[in-house]
Amino acid sequence: MSEDAKDPKPEAPKPVPETTTAAAAPAAAAKPAAPAKPAPKPLPTPVYNEADGRLLKERRLWPTDMWRDPWSQPRYRMAWVKLIVLVAVALGAALLLGEVGRFAVPVTSFLLEKGAAYGLPAWAPGLVWALVKIVLVLHVPLLSALVFVWWERKISAHMQSRLGPMYVGGFHGWLQTVADGIKLLLKENITPTAADTWVHRLAPAVVVAPALLAFAPVSFGKDLSAADLDVGLVYVFAMAGVSVVGIMMAGWGSGNKYSLLGGLRSAAQLVSYELPRMFAVIPVIMFAESLNLADIGAAQGGYWFGVLPRWFIFYPVVGQLSFLIFLIASVAETNRIPFDLPEAESELVAGFHTEYSGMKFSLFFLAEYAYMTLACCLAAAFFLGGGTAPLSFLDGFLPSWAWFLGKVLALVFCFLWFRWTFPRFRVDRLMDFNWKFLLPWSFANIALAGLYVMVLS
Amino acid sequence: MTEYFSEVFGSFFAILKGLRVTFVTMFKPAVTVEYPTEKLVPYSGFRGALLFDAETCISCNQCVKACPSSCIALENATNEAGKKVAKVAWYSIDFGKCNFCRLCEEACPTKPKAVWHSKDYELTFFRRDEMVRCWKKGFDFVGLYWDRGAQEFKKPEGQVQIQTVQERFQY
Repeated sequence: MSEDAKDPKPEAPKPVPETTTAAAAPAAAAKPAAPAKPAPKPLPTPVYNEADGRLLKERRLWPTDMWRDPWSQPRYRMAWVKLIVLVAVALGAALLLGEVGRFAVPVTSFLLEKGAAYGLPAWAPGLVWALVKIVLVLHVPLLSALVFVWWERKISAHMQSRLGPMYVGGFHGWLQTVADGIKLLLKENITPTAADTWVHRLAPAVVVAPALLAFAPVSFGKDLSAADLDVGLVYVFAMAGVSVVGIMMAGWGSGNKYSLLGGLRSAAQLVSYELPRMFAVIPVIMFAESLNLADIGAAQGGYWFGVLPRWFIFYPVVGQLSFLIFLIASVAETNRIPFDLPEAESELVAGFHTEYSGMKFSLFFLAEYAYMTLACCLAAAFFLGGGTAPLSFLDGFLPSWAWFLGKVLALVFCFLWFRWTFPRFRVDRLMDFNWKFLLPWSFANIALAGLYVMVLS
Repeated sequence: MTEYFSEVFGSFFAILKGLRVTFVTMFKPAVTVEYPTEKLVPYSGFRGALLFDAETCISCNQCVKACPSSCIALENATNEAGKKVAKVAWYSIDFGKCNFCRLCEEACPTKPKAVWHSKDYELTFFRRDEMVRCWKKGFDFVGLYWDRGAQEFKKPEGQVQIQTVQERFQY
């Protein structure tokens, strides 16, 4: 044997010793005291990178071991801190900005002044002001779609104990939707050979345009509506009804049996659920005695016994019933789970937008989220008091648009929550539920509301 | 009548139960491992990429005989007189053939093992040359590969990701 073989061997680096024995001793000592519930096995010591706090090494028995003691994990604590900071920043921004509606008067007077100074015709300042309002209100559905797609991905991920998008934009993938939008823009725009070309092309526009138009009379807070329509409520529902045509066009124009089936299912569903949705709002109209969305919001101002807000949802039985019917019908109207039969991805490929790609598909996507936002705005205005504060002592703490936004966000969260909790309806049960349950109860609700109005007056 | 209402309220509360489950799950920590930035270390006994120690090896050829996919090759070293000694001149493992079965490690008679499995599960190769890992005296446990184009040994950079734990399994 050569002498090389007797050389000391280079030692492999030792793994980090685990401290299970030290932690197990007190657990064993405590055992006789509580024999019914044995102390849980302590978690193996995780190793974190000192620089950025990322988990480097954790010997896990099972992924759900993470759930046993979440507060011992720095990342979990950090996530809560981040969430609280985020909410605090949003509140601070709302406090700093104050009522946005107050900018309307100086801006209009500025426009009038400039118009007079440059000798423009009398209609010019009004036109500019109208354009400004159009641009502003157009950004509500567009930006909310951007935010809510990201939010939905995060919420759905966390409900399945995943993380969702984490890379794009640095902070929790907040630019993910923008990246997806750019990807969709750059994609090829395919028209199938069997398609009815012009119907196929027009369908996304017919779906999206009313979705954007329907935002015009929505009152986002005090003095914050693009068009102060006296028939605002009827206008919104009329516009929302036009999209059915676009969906039918998409189903027919694609030249594909699955698209056609999806389109027809969608049309049947939308037309059916339109009824209880409309009837659920009638008690609200009866109480508020107005069709103007801003007036309906304002009618819910004030407090019962100085504490409880006079929101329509707090009217006993009638309010809750109509809110629930409106919420359920809204979920069905926006084609979301559990009522997503038109685009049931496991049954109909993707329903009416199977044959759409690139920007056309993203328009359908935008319309879906715009309708979700619209439904939440309407529910917040009809039942949750629009821009009024939930408790009397909070009145005036935040600007009205911030209260409204908070309510809308809470309702959108409910939509996402339903999506990731409920399984899909069967077609016949979907129709049964609508015609045999929601519609009769919405009628009964109107009768009850009439009784209330009679007694109160 | 009571049946109807009990069904309605029963299903309503059942729905609320379902909602509670998803809501509670939402606030639990995610089990996702964000792979490229954080990596799980496999259990001890995991059969990752093979490592080799030319100092320990006695060139007994047991691993070559044990290997079912004949991916190991070695050559005895010779001393100045031209006589074979119990050392390897070179040793090579073709990871293109290797099926990570641990038979070579089990056959190895030395203590500690001269050839053993690391926990590296991230072997990636861009060319066939990179698959054949070579060892000579003085090389690292990870070894080098022979680049036929450049006619030289090169480090398998970007192939070995788990640098932290390279423990040798003791029997």
